[in-house]
Amino acid sequence: MPVDARHGEFESALKPLWLRAQSGDDAAYRQCLGWLATRLRGYLKRRLSGLPDEVEDLVQETLLALHLQRGTYDPALPVSAWALAIARHKLVDLWRRRGRRDHLHDAIDDVDEQLLAAEPDDGGARRDLDVLFDALPPAQQQAIRLTKLEGLSVAEAAARTGASESAIKVQVHRGLKRLAALVRAADGRLDAPRQGLDG
Amino acid sequence: MKTDTLIDMLARNAGPAPRALAARRLSPAALAGLVVSALAAVAWFGAIPAPMFATAVPWTKMAYAGAMALAAGWLTAQLARPAAPLRRPQRATAAVVVAMAVVGGASLLAEPAGGRLPALLGHSWSSCPWSVLALSLPGLAAALWAVRGLAPTRPRAAGFAAGLMAGSVGAFGYSLSCPEASSAFVALWYTLGIALTGAVGALLGPRVLRW
Repeated sequence: MPVDARHGEFESALKPLWLRAQSGDDAAYRQCLGWLATRLRGYLKRRLSGLPDEVEDLVQETLLALHLQRGTYDPALPVSAWALAIARHKLVDLWRRRGRRDHLHDAIDDVDEQLLAAEPDDGGARRDLDVLFDALPPAQQQAIRLTKLEGLSVAEAAARTGASESAIKVQVHRGLKRLAALVRAADGRLDAPRQGLDG
Repeated sequence: MKTDTLIDMLARNAGPAPRALAARRLSPAALAGLVVSALAAVAWFGAIPAPMFATAVPWTKMAYAGAMALAAGWLTAQLARPAAPLRRPQRATAAVVVAMAVVGGASLLAEPAGGRLPALLGHSWSSCPWSVLALSLPGLAAALWAVRGLAPTRPRAAGFAAGLMAGSVGAFGYSLSCPEASSAFVALWYTLGIALTGAVGALLGPRVLRW
């Protein structure tokens, strides 16, 4: 795990907040994800200098994975080591898919310089999660829309839809999981994803 | 979608993180593997005669398989979590194998010279590892499925560890049907069956443990 000079300082600020997030503090969780996103962007930018347009996509993919796998975090570990291990896994996964695809498509030398230009760092991604979102099954879309986008509580969403609270939670989790699978399958292309691999 | 929007979405109504996720996914898989292997062993090979349970023989096998399942399960749980340290579960797993080898080796030394090879080979040395492997496959499928829902960043190692756990569980089931009396036999052929299951897990890991 790469440990730079600021690792200690970053970690000591992050960890107490992260532990609060793990026990259910949503505001602390949002703050942690924001800090981690900045950290991950730097980490991935250094390693994706040939594919700058992939950086933000991979930041988003990693954030989704962090969220889905937050139950695998062990309080004995540094949060940043855990998060970077996931980012590295996603990076290796991307290299492998790219490597395979680059044999099929044009070599990197043939690509027009214009296509490699990095966008200004506006936090936007080429791959639009909103588009992938529309490919989710309706029940999952609805559960995510109500609790995650409209901001209803789980109880309110349950009352609105007539489903139980645990059913809403399950649909949200499955929907995000499926979204992560769609992200992998789409692999940075703007056209329709091939298919969702259920995990 | 902007990254900030995604973060808002993930954090909103996120609630607490699930606790002890690795244990909660792996234990049912191990338990299911145990039940299936025990039932299949008794149905296929038949149970050993009841008086054998009055001797230490089946209990030695179950103690070895049980300890191995716990150690390999611990290792699997660590490999299913990013950045988790591995040294202690690796040592625990190795210690169980070594302990069984020491017990088996001592029992061989206690045999007269001419009885050692028969004790080591028993009647079923050529089928035992394969029986253990066969009885372990349902547990292996369950274990890989459980690990797949976690976050293994080293899929081959995680597949191997899941295979060791499933192999141990399969060996536990097989001990209900295995007529061999020598602990040297257990130390060699059970271990080989568990290792074979581990090898199958290592082969499958990179294919099935993608996330």
